[in-house]
Amino acid sequence: MTISNATLDAFIDDHLNEQETIKVEKAVRESPELQALLSSIIASRDMGDHSIGAIWRREHLSCPTREELSSYKEEALDPQRIDYIKFHLETVGCKACKANLSDLNCTKGSLKNADAHEKHRQFLENSKILLPKKQ
Amino acid sequence: MVSLDENMLVKKIQEGDQLAWSDLVLRYEGRLTNYAQGKIKDHASCQDIVQESFLGFLAKINNFDASRSVQSYLFGILSNKITDLLRRLGRSRAIETPVDSSGNHKVSPFIDPAMGASTWYRGDEKKKLENDALIKCLGLLINQFVQKKDYLKLKSIELIFVNGLSNLEAANILSIDNKTVASHRHYANNFIIDNLKKMNLSPSVFPHLSEQDQNS
Ligand SMILES: [Zn+2]
Repeated sequence: MTISNATLDAFIDDHLNEQETIKVEKAVRESPELQALLSSIIASRDMGDHSIGAIWRREHLSCPTREELSSYKEEALDPQRIDYIKFHLETVGCKACKANLSDLNCTKGSLKNADAHEKHRQFLENSKILLPKKQ
Repeated sequence: MVSLDENMLVKKIQEGDQLAWSDLVLRYEGRLTNYAQGKIKDHASCQDIVQESFLGFLAKINNFDASRSVQSYLFGILSNKITDLLRRLGRSRAIETPVDSSGNHKVSPFIDPAMGASTWYRGDEKKKLENDALIKCLGLLINQFVQKKDYLKLKSIELIFVNGLSNLEAANILSIDNKTVASHRHYANNFIIDNLKKMNLSPSVFPHLSEQDQNS
């Protein structure tokens, strides 16, 4: 694995898979050059300079829509699109799309037990007072 | 992508509509919880952190930029909150926060959990416009690949830009020639540069563009 600016950038966004993350961590720990590079990327992000990768990841620019993911599950898309979505999920490893897909696959919904339901109800009740006041 | 429906929901919440708020929470809770569960084992903490993210969203609702997708914005808030939580629990990667020569932790890029303008743009309106232009160019590029079903090019540049792979690594994954990947990268860079120029922006404000072409 070659560790370039773009790799470190993906590493900062926690986008790499577990294996790659371990490799980058180890390499950075052992190399003062990589440590300096990592710091400089963080510093330039702090100044508002973002790479193409950081912007692409943050805005989920190539993510299929929720509706498309639902059709993907049913295999109700053209084969090329299905192939691409599979690539986006498995090879690119998009965590947001994976989360969307598991949510779509979960028939019980995200609230798995009575406690979670109660917490959800209380949250809605308590957060309502924080809504902007109706004009 | 931003749906009209989503914008309407945000507008209603900005007007204090309780039903719209419940609707938004119900709509995004599941996917956000699943995302959190991929990173945090304790499911009760996941629900807490997702709820905190919704509160972060609500706190800044009046400044919400309608050109952004609600989902991306919420995932951004959540992801920063997870980083903060893992750091508090001491499970984060030590090198995430660089240390300066005197051993003090430098400020990380994850200061504002609501990912407001201050974190991404430091209140710099010019930088915001530049980044918005880049988002637009990338959107056009991706859309062109999808419309033309040119998925091989999309896969190449996604591996390079998003996963930070070299041309050779991307070529190996896609079982294609190294030179083909280089040509895809070159095409993407030119497309972005041309479109930035059309928007009267100088590509030189994005040093990454030339860097990434050399970095093959
Ligand atoms: Zn995705």
